[in-house]
Amino acid sequence: MAAVLTVDPRSGVPIYLQIIEQIKRSVALGVLQVGEQLPTVKQLAIDLTVNPNTVARAYRELERDAVIETAPGRGSFVRGDGMAQSPRAAAADIARTAFDAALREAKSVGLTRDEAQELIEAALDRWFQE
Amino acid sequence: MSAIQILNLRKMYGPLAAVDDFSLEVPAGSVYGLLGPNGAGKTTTFKCMLGLLRPTSGEVLYDGKPLVPQTFERIAYVPERSVLYEWMTVAEHIEMTRRAFSRFDPARARELLVQFGVEERRRARALSKGMRTAVMVALAFARNAEILLLDEPTGGLDPVNQRHVLSLMINEAAKGNSVLFSSHQIGQVERAAERIAVMDHGRLVLEGLVDDLKADRKIVEGVFPDVSYTLDGIANDPRVTHADRTERIVRLLVNGGADEIASRLARAGATGVRVLDLNLEDIFLYAVSPETATADVVAKESSS
Repeated sequence: MAAVLTVDPRSGVPIYLQIIEQIKRSVALGVLQVGEQLPTVKQLAIDLTVNPNTVARAYRELERDAVIETAPGRGSFVRGDGMAQSPRAAAADIARTAFDAALREAKSVGLTRDEAQELIEAALDRWFQE
Repeated sequence: MSAIQILNLRKMYGPLAAVDDFSLEVPAGSVYGLLGPNGAGKTTTFKCMLGLLRPTSGEVLYDGKPLVPQTFERIAYVPERSVLYEWMTVAEHIEMTRRAFSRFDPARARELLVQFGVEERRRARALSKGMRTAVMVALAFARNAEILLLDEPTGGLDPVNQRHVLSLMINEAAKGNSVLFSSHQIGQVERAAERIAVMDHGRLVLEGLVDDLKADRKIVEGVFPDVSYTLDGIANDPRVTHADRTERIVRLLVNGGADEIASRLARAGATGVRVLDLNLEDIFLYAVSPETATADVVAKESSS
């Protein structure tokens, strides 16, 4: 588990958000399975050399988003009940963020809706050809 | 209650304020980074915290109480400059520390020295700057102290040993202890510290959670089609803390509301509007030297 997580402290993206994104991504990709135990806050802090409170903040948000659950005294686990986000929904989340960023850039450099649509169609043909 | 509270600390040298109405609070179980240019007053602050210098006014509290002789058992300090006795061996320093502090664990100190690659039989005068730092760090972290005051605790160390010191600090925080450290290596502070304070000319110029500072502080950039543009008062928004305007390019340092301000810039006619993230070095530079900071951010963006 620790091996799949890395943080880039020099990035402008807050460390707790980097941890959240990577755990969501790991769940989406099935690297982290439903019911699987996460490292303790203390252990992950030591593994990543980041402040324990920063890891705790990431875990709290992941709990709020129903990605993980914490059983006092037992640790944190990837949620498996109906509330949990399905891996497909998590994958869609990741893609949606990327689309948003790309389209925002397209709009800001002055593309019209039709021009953006054309680019999207071309990209779809490239990446989803049968 | 915070483990460490510095309240309105002031230290005057004649007419000059080395520390000027400086306050901060370090929570228990946290690593706290103290940043500032040379001469900002960091070392003077550490010395006032330890009673090595008498503050002109203000006070320092540990768990809500002022420093008393018994507190010293609970505080470990790594000074910026070597305080080792040149003619004594490292082993003799361990023995001396053992006699002075009842909670000191000599076995732990030896273990740390092995990890840092420092031989106990060496005399202090034969040690490099980095090895001296390593000895002081090993003695401090073997003290079983609840409060660690570390003034440049990685000075002269190689990257592997620098990371080792950071790991030791994280371990202490995970045990519920409090670490206040200063460093010119902003990348280290960025990685290990939960909160930071930036000092400049003795004053507190910026304080906060590193992650929140990064989430709030952004550069909003836009390019106008020609030189005759107006910002429609955007630059007067209280969240815009610094504005750079060249002929057609506008860069706004914002503290919160980046997306909204980006939309307003686009409505004012700017194209290529984008929101740039800032790392802690950028945020630090904006706090102490905005002109340098802008040049830095722009250079980084152009090269990426």
